[in-house]
Amino acid sequence: MEITLSLFGTATTVSDSTGLSVEGLVTSFNAATPWQLSLPASGVFGLTGPSGSGKSTLLAALAGQRRCRGKISFANTVWQCGRRALSTHKRALSLGFQDSCLFAGQSVADNLALARRYSRRPVPGEECDQLLKAFGIAPLLHQPVELLSGGEAQRVALLRQLFHNAPLQLFDEPLSAVQRTQVLRCLLPTLRDFWARYPALVIWTSHDFDEIQLLAQRCLWMDAADLSAPLTLPEVARHLDTQGVGDSCRSRIEARVESLQESLLTLDLGGIALYADRVAGHYRKGDTAAFLLEAGDISLSAERPGLSSMLNCLPVMLAAKLHLADGRIRLQLTAAGQVLYADISRLSCERLQLRDGATYFAQFKAGSLAGL
Amino acid sequence: MTITAADWQALWLTLKLAGLTTLLLFVIGVPLAWQLSQWQSRWRHGIEVLITLPLVLPPTVLGFYLLLLFSPNFAPGQWLSQLFGGPLVFSFTGLVFASVIYSLPFMVQPLLAAFHANGQRLTHAAAALGIPPWVALWKVLLPASRAAIVSACALTFAHTLGEFGVVLMIGGAIPGETQVVSIALYQHVETMEYGAAHRLALMLMGLTTVLLLVARWLGYVLAPRSSNAAPARPVVGVLG
Repeated sequence: MEITLSLFGTATTVSDSTGLSVEGLVTSFNAATPWQLSLPASGVFGLTGPSGSGKSTLLAALAGQRRCRGKISFANTVWQCGRRALSTHKRALSLGFQDSCLFAGQSVADNLALARRYSRRPVPGEECDQLLKAFGIAPLLHQPVELLSGGEAQRVALLRQLFHNAPLQLFDEPLSAVQRTQVLRCLLPTLRDFWARYPALVIWTSHDFDEIQLLAQRCLWMDAADLSAPLTLPEVARHLDTQGVGDSCRSRIEARVESLQESLLTLDLGGIALYADRVAGHYRKGDTAAFLLEAGDISLSAERPGLSSMLNCLPVMLAAKLHLADGRIRLQLTAAGQVLYADISRLSCERLQLRDGATYFAQFKAGSLAGL
Repeated sequence: MTITAADWQALWLTLKLAGLTTLLLFVIGVPLAWQLSQWQSRWRHGIEVLITLPLVLPPTVLGFYLLLLFSPNFAPGQWLSQLFGGPLVFSFTGLVFASVIYSLPFMVQPLLAAFHANGQRLTHAAAALGIPPWVALWKVLLPASRAAIVSACALTFAHTLGEFGVVLMIGGAIPGETQVVSIALYQHVETMEYGAAHRLALMLMGLTTVLLLVARWLGYVLAPRSSNAAPARPVVGVLG
C-alpha cells in the first residue's frame, strides 16, 4: 500500500508503510519544530548531534514515555494520534537508557530472563549463549546487578535489549561507559552480525561517530531540536566537522569477505587482498564488512615495498593534503573508490615529495582494522 | 516467674492481631503506594495526607470516630454488622478493622518513599521491554524495594503490637476476644499487680527487640553481596 507523507515540507510518496512513520510530533522541547520521520521496517540508523539537542526526548516520545502530540505509527499500527497514545508496553519496541536501568534486587540472569520472557520474538537459547560469551557476561550471570561496574551494567542492559529482540529497538548512548577497545573489537561486530540475522529497525544514539559508522549506513542528525531526514555518513561527518566535534582521522572502509583461515580474515577491496587478524563476527564469503582504519596507523611509500611484516599494502591515489594544527599533514587518499585518511609528519611529506593525483602504497598491519 | 493463662491468651491475641493486620496491610498497601507513586494528579497530596493522619492524631480521636462508625445506631454500623455477621464494636474483627486504618501509614510511607525514589525509572525500563505494569510491580519494583518492604512490615507489626488507645476505645478488654497485651498490662497496673505487669512488659520488650533484630538481619541478608561461590549452572537453564 502506498501512503503519502509530508516530509520536510515536500510531499513524498512512501511505498513501505510497515516501517516507522512520525508526523508532526511535538513535545514541550520542540514546540516550534515538529518532528517528521519516515524509516523502513528494518535497518540500523544512527542518531547523533550536539548534547542537549533533543535526541533522548525523541526516543522517549517514540516510546510513549514523554508527553507529546502528533502521529506515530509502526508496522501498520498507530501508536499515537493527537494526544491519544498507546501504552509503552503495548508498542513493539524496546528502549535502552544511558544509565542502564537494570532491575535492582535481581541477578544478571534474572534481568535477562525477564526481558526474554516478555519478548514477542525471543532469541533461541543457543543464540543467547553465544551473545553471553561475546559480551563477556557469562561469568557475571549470578551477580546481583548492584555489584556491576558501569561498563558491565551497560553491557548487560544492551544484552537485555537484544534478548528482548523487539521489531523497533531504540538505544540511547548504550556503550558510553564500555572500554573502547572492547566496543570496537567485539561488541559492534557482534551487534552487526545479530541484526543481520534478526532484522529490526534500530535507532542507535551516540556521540561516538565511530560506533555509528560501524553499525549504520545512514544517520539522523539532530541540532537544536531540528531533526534531519536520514543522511549519508559523509554528510553527517561534515555536520560534525562544522560543529568542531568531528573526529575524521578514522576512515570507514567497506570490503567483500573472501575467506577466514586461522582467525585471519581475507577481504577483497577492488581486487586487492586485505587481511584482518581479529574476527568476532560470523562472516560468510561474499558478505560486505565495514571497518575503521586509524589515520595514524597508515604508512606511505613512494614505491611498492618489499616483503614486510605489515600484511596490508594498498595502492592509493593522493587526492588532497591538509595541514593540521599540530604540524602533521593529513592526506586524503582514494583506493577502489573509497576514501582513506593518513596522518604523516611534515618531514615524511617533504622526503616523499607528495604530489596530488600520484599513486602511492599505503601499508598497515592486519591488527589495525577495527570493528571486524 | 510465672505467666498466667490469661496473659498467654492476651499475648497470642496480640500476635494474631499484629500478624493479620500486617498481612492485610501488605495486600492493601503495596498497590495503594504504587498507584500513589504513579499518579500525577494534585489529588494525590490529599490522599497522602489522609493516609498520614493516623500518624499525628491521638489514637483516641481515631478510636472515637471508629466507635461512631461501628455503632449499630447509625447506618454504616448497621451495614458493617450485617456484612461481618455481628457488631464490630468490642469484637476481634473490629480490632483488625481499626488496626488496618491505624497502622496504614506505617506500611504505606516506607513503600511510597522507595517507589518515589526509583519507581518511575524502573517501571519505564520495564515497560520499554514490553513488561505490563502489574507484572512490573511484582517482578521489578517489589524485588528492587525489598529492604523497604521488610522495613514497612516490621514497622506495621511492631506498631500494631503496641496499640493501646484505639483498642481501648473500640475493643475494651474482653479476654480472648479483645484483651491484647497492652490492655492486660494496663489492667495489671490499675489493680496494682506490679509483678504481672513487669512480666508482660518484659515479654513485650523482648518480643519487639527480637522483631527489630530479625528485621535488621533480613535487611542484611537482602542487601546485595558478592556471590563468588554461586554454583555454575548451564546458561540456558538459568535463563529458562
